[in-house]
Amino acid sequence: MINTVQPFYIFQLMLLMLSGCMKDKITKTYQIRTPVYEVLSQFRESIKSQPAAEMSATGKIAVAGNYIFISELYKGIHVIDNSDPSHPKNASFINVPGNEDLAIINNTLYADAFGDLVTFDITDPLHAEAKNFAANVFPDHSIYYYSGADNVNPDSINVIIGWTVRDTTVDYEPGGSVYPVYYAANCANCATIAANLSSSVNTGNSGTSGSLSRFAILNDYLYAVSYSQLRSFDISNKFSPSYKNSFTVDWHVETIYPFKGKLFVGTNNGVYMYDAAASPSNPTPLGAFTHVRGCDPVVADDDYAYVTINDSSACLGFNNELQIVNVKDLNAPSLVQSYQLTHPVGLSKDGNLLFVCDSKDGLKIYNADNVNNLQLIRQMKDGEAVDVIAMNGLAIMIAADGLYQYDYSDINNIHLISKL
Amino acid sequence: MYRRNFIIIAVMIFAAFSCFGQQKISMCHFQFHSINNVGLLEGQAGSAFHLQTINGVQYKSWFTGAGVGLDSYRYRTIPLFLDIRKEFGKTPNKILLFGDAGINFYWARDRDVKQFYSNDKIKNGFYGELGAGYKFRLNAKMSIIFSGSYSYKTLEETGGDYYYNMPFFLPGAAAYSPVAERIHYNLNRVLLKVGVEF
Repeated sequence: MINTVQPFYIFQLMLLMLSGCMKDKITKTYQIRTPVYEVLSQFRESIKSQPAAEMSATGKIAVAGNYIFISELYKGIHVIDNSDPSHPKNASFINVPGNEDLAIINNTLYADAFGDLVTFDITDPLHAEAKNFAANVFPDHSIYYYSGADNVNPDSINVIIGWTVRDTTVDYEPGGSVYPVYYAANCANCATIAANLSSSVNTGNSGTSGSLSRFAILNDYLYAVSYSQLRSFDISNKFSPSYKNSFTVDWHVETIYPFKGKLFVGTNNGVYMYDAAASPSNPTPLGAFTHVRGCDPVVADDDYAYVTINDSSACLGFNNELQIVNVKDLNAPSLVQSYQLTHPVGLSKDGNLLFVCDSKDGLKIYNADNVNNLQLIRQMKDGEAVDVIAMNGLAIMIAADGLYQYDYSDINNIHLISKL
Repeated sequence: MYRRNFIIIAVMIFAAFSCFGQQKISMCHFQFHSINNVGLLEGQAGSAFHLQTINGVQYKSWFTGAGVGLDSYRYRTIPLFLDIRKEFGKTPNKILLFGDAGINFYWARDRDVKQFYSNDKIKNGFYGELGAGYKFRLNAKMSIIFSGSYSYKTLEETGGDYYYNMPFFLPGAAAYSPVAERIHYNLNRVLLKVGVEF
């Protein structure tokens, strides 16, 4: 028996010794993404009208003539033919990667494209043509250009327009971390884009922008606000805007609203007022009305500014209310009244009617004859209301799920006429 | 080939059950056996406890059966496998060679260290074992088996880590998204076992 058992014990001993040689083979499979480049000048050729696209992440809104322009955040601008408000048509899409804001005057559309300002000829809104690119005028949104670099030549700047993706497998030690490799380095003047490569009409005079707009046109000047700055552009030559000036307003600037030669700038901390009539390239500061911290679009009329404050996390606020501020003396604005709301966002004023988008509570329409005691006339709970433009008996509301239009020509019969 | 093996195993299992009540009849060469092992797994990740029970039929020097176990090396798994073994020698004590193949079923533990922040899932894998042993016959119905083997199991862990879309510093582009990834575990161990067969 010993003769038989001995080899087995030796076998077990060998196994035990071999256990030190046993190695686990653990691998991790992940994706490597390699950028695809295009020269900026070539890339700009894609900034033009395309067939209509589905609305998904809509942002700012502007109305000009029979057309509604809606920003698709960071992708472009939807053009809605609103000749018949009861049957609006999603007519075309202007591809503008990096777009957040827009403003319209006559047949000219101004839109930001990351750090650039793009000027479009929208004589035919369905075939918008990019006429001018003002390079790096919004440096805090710029991705094309290195900070502080002078080179804005679009022929020498590469843009990442996409990624080729392939799987790779590497040895892996559990507990460690292996990250996908993004090859964006080693390329001078390279920029990365979250790209979506995807008849003469009277558009009236100056278009009307929503209260969330960060662009405003006043006389021959375009004003744009960024994180902390207010910038002015001379647009007397409409297709060739000329950057004039910039100055710091406050931190976290959100909106700008023009009214009778004045600019109302909404920030996290309050509303700042400027006189743009005397010195349009360098508006003169007037008074400021500060409030509790919160996001705050603003509209105004001759006597009052209407400010909504909400508790969006981006604005670090805790309040949700509508504040009405007496601005008869722009150097000494004062709070008149506050109204608690659910989560107010954009708003619009037409005559004595005040329209407030209250998110999931929909659109609230008030009689604002007495600012000390607003009377709720109607609440339209059709969609999660974001911003509204009310004029000529038609309230055009952008919501989380699309475009709503209400007929309020008869305030006793305010009703939904279309949804797109 | 696979079909033939399956038929042989099926016949053996059927025969074993048919012999349950007639083990003393010498004409029946199939005998039911149960092998129950405890063991120690040794590998790169250290030592781990192992348990298994194999139940099947013996025909002359051949045995085949189905086994289920508990394998706590790295991730805890329940191996379900087919066992085939062959005994050598003419004395009551015998040397044996055996092989197992089957499936590992993952059995989660609270202390498992998952490798992904989100959607972490561990998929079942392969289980295999090749080894040799020595069977000491205690009496007519019971034996003790000492064995050593190479044991192999695989698992696949999938999930998504969150990565910022480039360029992360821009609004809109800052949205981060889960990226599907896979970790393949090919675990090689030495397994030393002691068991009782009856």
